[in-house]
Amino acid sequence: MIVRRKQDKDLEEELQSHLRMAAQDRIDRGESAQDAETAARRELGNAGLIKEVTMEALSGAWFGRLLQDLRYCIRVMRRNPGATVVSVLTLTLGIGASTAIFSVVYGVLLRPLPYEKPEQIVRVWEVSSKGTQMQFADPNFADFRDQNHSLQGLAEFASGLLSVSGGSEPKRLMVATVSADFFPILRVKPVMGRGFAPEDQRFGAAPVVMVSYNYWKQYLGGVKDLSTVKLNVDNRSASVVGVLPPGFRFPDESEVWEPRELEMTLPARDAHNWQGLGRLRDGVTLEQARTDLSAIARQINQRYGRDVDLVTAAVFPLREALTGDVRPRLLLLLAAVGFLLLVGCANIMNLMLAQASAREGELAVRAALGASRPRLIRQFLAETLLLAFFGGVLGVVAAYFGVQALLAAAPPDIPRLSDVAVNVPVLLFAAGLCVVVAVALGVFIAVRATAGDVRSALVEGGRGQAGGPASRRLGGIIAAVQLAVTLVLLVGAGLLGRSLLRALSVDPGFRTEHIITLNLALPSAFQEDQKVQREQFISELFTRLRRLPGIEDVGGTNALPLETGVTSNGTYAVLIPQQLSPATRALMDRSAHGSLEKDPVLMKELIGFLEGIYRDSTHTGYADYVVASEGYFRALGIPLRRGRLFDDRDAFDAPHAALVSESLAHAQWPGQDPIGRMIEFGNMDGDLRLLTVVGVVGDVRERSVEHPPRPTIYVNYRQRPQGTHQFSVVIRSSAAPDAILPEARKIVRELDANVPPSFNTFDRVFAASLNTRRFNLMLVGLFAVAALGLAIAGIYGVLSYSVARRTREMGVRMALGASASNVRGLVLKQAVITALAGVAVGLAGAFALTRMMQSMLFDISVIDPLTYAAVAFLLLLVALMAAYVPARRATKVDPIIALRHE
Amino acid sequence: MPKTERYQNRIELLQGTLDLLILETLRWGPQHGYGISQAIRLNSGEVLQVDTGSLYPALHRLEKQKWISSDWKVSENKQRVKLYRLTAAGKKQLATERSRWQQLLEAMGGILEPKGKESEA
Repeated sequence: MIVRRKQDKDLEEELQSHLRMAAQDRIDRGESAQDAETAARRELGNAGLIKEVTMEALSGAWFGRLLQDLRYCIRVMRRNPGATVVSVLTLTLGIGASTAIFSVVYGVLLRPLPYEKPEQIVRVWEVSSKGTQMQFADPNFADFRDQNHSLQGLAEFASGLLSVSGGSEPKRLMVATVSADFFPILRVKPVMGRGFAPEDQRFGAAPVVMVSYNYWKQYLGGVKDLSTVKLNVDNRSASVVGVLPPGFRFPDESEVWEPRELEMTLPARDAHNWQGLGRLRDGVTLEQARTDLSAIARQINQRYGRDVDLVTAAVFPLREALTGDVRPRLLLLLAAVGFLLLVGCANIMNLMLAQASAREGELAVRAALGASRPRLIRQFLAETLLLAFFGGVLGVVAAYFGVQALLAAAPPDIPRLSDVAVNVPVLLFAAGLCVVVAVALGVFIAVRATAGDVRSALVEGGRGQAGGPASRRLGGIIAAVQLAVTLVLLVGAGLLGRSLLRALSVDPGFRTEHIITLNLALPSAFQEDQKVQREQFISELFTRLRRLPGIEDVGGTNALPLETGVTSNGTYAVLIPQQLSPATRALMDRSAHGSLEKDPVLMKELIGFLEGIYRDSTHTGYADYVVASEGYFRALGIPLRRGRLFDDRDAFDAPHAALVSESLAHAQWPGQDPIGRMIEFGNMDGDLRLLTVVGVVGDVRERSVEHPPRPTIYVNYRQRPQGTHQFSVVIRSSAAPDAILPEARKIVRELDANVPPSFNTFDRVFAASLNTRRFNLMLVGLFAVAALGLAIAGIYGVLSYSVARRTREMGVRMALGASASNVRGLVLKQAVITALAGVAVGLAGAFALTRMMQSMLFDISVIDPLTYAAVAFLLLLVALMAAYVPARRATKVDPIIALRHE
Repeated sequence: MPKTERYQNRIELLQGTLDLLILETLRWGPQHGYGISQAIRLNSGEVLQVDTGSLYPALHRLEKQKWISSDWKVSENKQRVKLYRLTAAGKKQLATERSRWQQLLEAMGGILEPKGKESEA
């Protein structure tokens, strides 16, 4: 603008000097000063016009005309405030909702990870012959790390909740255990102190940890001198050596990182315990890395194929691995909101089409006065741009609040939510969306409105093209398309809703009412004295909790359904004790009392024994391994089908008892009695002593109500307490949770002040397990309802407009003897045709598109006939209702007035 | 409008020739807008009159194309004037336009004064 003003002044001066020189020439030729000036001025012509034309040459013609167009637009909009407000609000809704969803999509799926060259960072898995991706087993990991040619580094890592004390208060925190290459791969360095040094990264080294910036601020008081800070992590005292940069929480929102090398390395090739993280070498593609690592996997398979089912390797970019699960869901939401925008735009189209017909006379006059068609088209474009601008600005404001609401409602399983915000890329998206919408609408309307013949429009007195039958047909088509798109959205929402209902009606195998859960992260207990202590700790906890008023049952497990879930599963074997050699029995006894960590010979023998028995697949199976107490089954109402639950007979040194789930019993011993059978499941906890099946309990859906129950073997916490690292106590009580919590908290603190409990009610856990489903349904449902509202308004608008335009025709019909019902039928017929066309197209579209949401449905087909029929019926009904008012209005036409109309 | 009479003994400039005339005029040295219009008028024996309404847009357009450049100077009679001069690109453009004009002339000549027999066909 400033440049423009300067150019303007320049030009003014130039023209003035031109004038002076021309006048001077005339004076030189003898004219009087006054005559000379007048003549020169006349010769120059209209200085203002010259300036304007020149400026146009200078700045490109569009700018001045654009301003003119915009001024004109504002006049037009002020003449039709209602239509303008409706259009702007519709765009606000569409653009706002799209922008809000896009900010989530961008933050979660698109935004680059905050690491150097993030595209080089990959997750690596072993892949079994069934195509299952598995974590690394230590010896395989070592082979991959040492033999690959495609990676700069390969690291093992794992994470889990541990009790961490030593800060201002004990906390249950996510603790990551990471191998040497981990931080070099991410290229993350501590902002304070130092990283892990090679001398920290060997077995038996003095424990050290790094902590998150947040933990350091909040629980270590932001101390500058780390040398005095010690944390008690998993009952191990560790020096804090470094503080990681703010915001760094990988993996799984960790707060504490410890060297993986402090943990023991298992020689088993099928103990898949570690996640893999790598960084591609410069210039190496994902595909090359896959080829390279798969070749190593094949070599391992050739050499050790008997001991491990490993056939190839999977390599995926870290970002994809982090967000793979939520990707389809977010894209579904984006598609849904795009549909909503489409429906909204259709409304604006019809509105503008109607307006254009009202302005036909004016357009014809402008065309007759020499406005070119491009000029008129540009005029419409300016209008839609202005509409989109207002809609976009309001939409971004709406999106800002929408994002806050989304973040508040989002289920916790969506990763990277902290990265979601209305930021520059999101704003660019919104701006781009506005332009696309404006251009699409503008071109459509302009081409329609200026297609007509100027003369006929003038002759017909403004009842030409835009209001004519062709235009009415177009309006009908737009309304039908709107209905079709709405139908797709409604079907999507309907399918999600039905899935939620199905999920809610599933019997999970346990009850959730009146149960308080108490989660504890306990230190590991693999040595015999630790096992005894653990058994006593839990028993004492149960005893004390049971004494609280109103308590009906108290129990516990290391794998609370829907909450902690099963952490261990693997191959078990059914053995017959009489067939075991004395050496084997001796080994079993040693495994019960020895420590694998301190006795590599025992470890080797144990793995040799297990590999031996697993090779005979006739008496092996795959099961979840769960540690539980008898009260757990009673509290959760998991039914006992045969035999007995654990009881006081199953003391620490008594023969080890096991309960099996119904489905395992059926699969392993079809038609036979499982009671008394002996199971070897020592690969789960290092205790090779055989388990005797004492009872069969009902199946439990532990992962989620939507996943079928898995075969499960339960062991007794009194006999196998080593698996109770994560331990959930369940308290069944008639009293209100609030009355029990403070007491329960006190009891835990008295027993072990370093173990901070976290409480919940099982009802809440259950509800939360369906949050993702509710969230999707809520959003898609919301979009569908909004689209339905817009579509109703759309079809109502088209019919009303059509009736208004045909007042004269209706009048003639009635004057010629048509009855009110004839006329009403005429309008309703139009509505029915429109609605049927929309529904037919919509059904086909839904049929094609809902396939993509297969993975989000539960227990229902993507072509669920009930949903389709109900939605189609609903739309037809709604369309007819929307048509009723205009139809009635048509019958109220007074023939005399109608004929005089216009 | 009184202006119309004066147009009668004037030949309308062929479209696109104004640029050529301006460039050609500037070939003889820097000149201001008024000077250019006078030079064109005089050199054409008063036949071609450049309308100021066409001249200034053309000058600015040419400047935008970087074929001519301009700066403010103080003239002999102490007045600030805006002088236009030909740039290197402008010289090249002038050569192109001249040769195109030459082609046009020859083509026109060929049609208006045919030398061959084809004209009878």
